[in-house]
Amino acid sequence: MTAQATTASADRAPRRRTGNPLLRRYARAFRSPRGVIGASIIAVLVLLSLLAPVLFPGGFDQQTRDALLAPSLQHFFGTDEVGRDIFVRTIYGARVDLSLVFVAVPIAAVLGTLLGLVGILGNAAGAAVQRGLDVIVGFPSLILGISVTLVLGAGWTALVVALAIYSTPAFGRLARATLLTQQNRDYVQAARMLGTSKASIMTAHILPHTLDTAVTQAVVAVVSSIFLESSLSIVGLGIQPPQPSLGALLNSGARYMQQLPSYVLGPAAVLLILVLGFSLLADALNRAGAGR
Amino acid sequence: MGSYLLRRIPSILLVLLLTSVIAFALPRLASGDPATTAAGSDASPAAVAAIRTQMGLDQPLPLQYLDWIGGVLTGDLGQSFSAHRSVAELIGTRLESTFELAAVAAVLMIAIGVLLGIAGARVHGGFWRAALDAVNAVLLAAPPFLTGLVLILAFGIAWPVLPASGEVSLSENFEIGIQYLLLPAVALALPQAAAISRLLESSMKATAREDFVDLAKAKGVPGGRIVRKHILRNSFGPALVTIGLRLGELLAGAIVVEAIFGRHGLGTLAITSVQNRDYLVIQALILGAVFIAVIMQLLTEIGVAFLDPRVRLGGAA
Repeated sequence: MTAQATTASADRAPRRRTGNPLLRRYARAFRSPRGVIGASIIAVLVLLSLLAPVLFPGGFDQQTRDALLAPSLQHFFGTDEVGRDIFVRTIYGARVDLSLVFVAVPIAAVLGTLLGLVGILGNAAGAAVQRGLDVIVGFPSLILGISVTLVLGAGWTALVVALAIYSTPAFGRLARATLLTQQNRDYVQAARMLGTSKASIMTAHILPHTLDTAVTQAVVAVVSSIFLESSLSIVGLGIQPPQPSLGALLNSGARYMQQLPSYVLGPAAVLLILVLGFSLLADALNRAGAGR
Repeated sequence: MGSYLLRRIPSILLVLLLTSVIAFALPRLASGDPATTAAGSDASPAAVAAIRTQMGLDQPLPLQYLDWIGGVLTGDLGQSFSAHRSVAELIGTRLESTFELAAVAAVLMIAIGVLLGIAGARVHGGFWRAALDAVNAVLLAAPPFLTGLVLILAFGIAWPVLPASGEVSLSENFEIGIQYLLLPAVALALPQAAAISRLLESSMKATAREDFVDLAKAKGVPGGRIVRKHILRNSFGPALVTIGLRLGELLAGAIVVEAIFGRHGLGTLAITSVQNRDYLVIQALILGAVFIAVIMQLLTEIGVAFLDPRVRLGGAA
């Protein structure tokens, strides 16, 4: 018990030292132009969607008699077929998209990283898990989404599950790659020879390194998840009306492209801006990591 | 190479076996009873039971699985209850539409990707550099459904030169068919082409720094020949790997693109079958999609070895 306590406290000191440069690098990523623009875009859209019920207290389903109005100062993107403000619906849609990815991607990150680190128990176990992840990778993204929808029925829950399963293998592969390289580093070998338990080698030496790659991968996964949500909702297997999501809006907007192009262009622009924000942030994180 | 292929067969079979189990299990994990769905909304319990026996749903699950997979191997995919015809026949009627779309899109994807990639590696500064970077960045960020919607708005509505919805099969009337095919195929090809071009560009830039390129220059080989014979050939391997992966994504993209452009292909069939819970159709489509993705991956590996003799598929690797 005492021996364990001393190793734990001995491990804590070096961990703090590796933790600081990590934080410094993230700070550097947020100071780069890409990082600033990306983070600002995300901040504005997150804020807008969080405040949506305050800014637009009527909600996303407030119908009026003014159907398919052209864009104006009152209705930035015009109104839809039952007179609902498309801009308001787009903000509520972005809210749904953000809620999906902010739930699904962390689940995938934790699950994938843990699965990738199974290899510490034994090489055979680690390899077997990777084969399992390979089966998921074999499914084209939309086929995976369709499969999950088939089981759970279309809606928010099915989307979260589909996005989480879809994003998991990448985290698993990264974690396994980190595990394999770190395992053979001299300091890990030294720790093992000193009799440090597998559990503390894991938490003190390997986990911080996986965390590093997982953060960037999480931002990348957000982008691909937003695309998968939109694809599924566009074909009618995602968020179901009257609830809006960016994809669901494109689905209904596509039917009125002739009369009201802004019905599609508005939500599409917000979708692109949202994705651009996350892409810029991922880029900035990546560059900060490369300049280590 | 033969021995390499032989060694790959077990892992391919394993993936396909697992996929077939997943495809079989999915509809059965879903809430609701397929027999009740098949019988219609106001069928008597006796009618539901009769349909259940007819569909083999009263059998134990392992037996149902063996029955289904045995059928798949002999080409009998079962009966679609919503369309009242055999699944194989149903897929057959839709196959041509999706195949035409995927084939034209694949050709466009490779052609546009390779051309943009070569251009990107050769243009070093100025306006064209900036223009290429901008085009690539936009295409990379836009998924097929966005390029599709923008193409419809641009060439179907704002400047109506091409039909934006519907289809005519190429075998029926090539001239009109290709007009219907052009927009969806371009929409599907562009995002994937951007990914290929970016990879080819960086790989060509890396190859251009190799010693053998310097040697060729020193020997006085003309620039165009260096690009073609020395740089391009040696840079194609990594790009080919992406092409293989992208062909799988092309299939996924085809589902969305078919829906947006109102085409009746396998993608729209998959969507309606999920909505109707026509589970034998879905099982066949899932298995088929993964099978094609796996085959594409294998063909890619063979292609890479063919281009780069350093990768010896039969050797120690």
